[in-house]
Amino acid sequence: MNIDNLQESEIDTQSIDLQAKQIAGLLDAHAKRLSMRTLKQLENGRARAVKVHAQQISGVSVNHDGTLSSISAWADHHRIASTGLVLVAIIAGFVIMQSLNHRESSDAFLLGADLPPEAFVDRGFEPFLNHSQAKL
Amino acid sequence: MASSQELSDFLRDVERRAFKQTVYAVRDDHAALDIVQDAMLKLAEKYADKPVNEYPMLFQRILQNTMRDYWRRQKVRNLWTTLLSSFGAGKDGEEDHDPLDSIDVEGEGTNPAIQLERSQTMRIIEKALEKLPARQREAFVLRYWEDMDVAETAAMMGCSQGSVKTHCSRAVHSLAAILEKQGLGSRAIAQLGVET
Repeated sequence: MNIDNLQESEIDTQSIDLQAKQIAGLLDAHAKRLSMRTLKQLENGRARAVKVHAQQISGVSVNHDGTLSSISAWADHHRIASTGLVLVAIIAGFVIMQSLNHRESSDAFLLGADLPPEAFVDRGFEPFLNHSQAKL
Repeated sequence: MASSQELSDFLRDVERRAFKQTVYAVRDDHAALDIVQDAMLKLAEKYADKPVNEYPMLFQRILQNTMRDYWRRQKVRNLWTTLLSSFGAGKDGEEDHDPLDSIDVEGEGTNPAIQLERSQTMRIIEKALEKLPARQREAFVLRYWEDMDVAETAAMMGCSQGSVKTHCSRAVHSLAAILEKQGLGSRAIAQLGVET
């Protein structure tokens, strides 16, 4: 009984497959008969795709405005570009803070020193000091 | 990596089938052309580094996704059209007829009677295919027209192999019933002389 059912379902599956393939065969044959306009448009689409593919392979892409750009240019990748900008801003901020701190400590040193500020500007002052120390 | 020539050959091989499949799904020649061209461009743009043997599956997936995107956009557009239709806009389906649209390629050389019979049969089959639910049509097209096996079809459709078998079986039964009703049994289809 079970074997009969199995055989029946197998035959059923085979007949479905056969029928489906007959219909698919007709559809396939019919798909070859398209109007010239449609074929031309498909050909245009294909040509555009092939052009884009060639550009992708050569490492050059076409921007929306029609200009060419290198795929490897980091600026084209928006995430990398924005991350890079944030990093540059952080580093620049850090450097500015450092220079400001340095200036503040220099100003404090100049104001707190026994010598007048002009003495530090005078280029001959340090050699004079060294010379007099060596004499002593 | 596939060369541009390989891509061109592949696209030449599948473009007609892809176009017809899309027409059956969206029922609009112009939209179908746009969808197929879009899918071609996406394949070239995003998968230029893939080998050519991966192209059939990739292209089918892109095509199906582009069709879904079209349906989504169409749904929103239809909503607006329905809302605005009360203003009584004229029907713009009646466009100028272009003789290029009706010139078939590779249609000559056979008996006119057979050609007529075949074209009538095709019209019935196409109508029947259009009437199928979207998932059944997708399963039928991928499994039998694109000649994918059940596992590949299931992977493409994102469902189980059992579902694919069910969709295919229902699709074929529905098609067969419609064709039978029109007096086109499997014997009549086989007699049209198309290699399967």
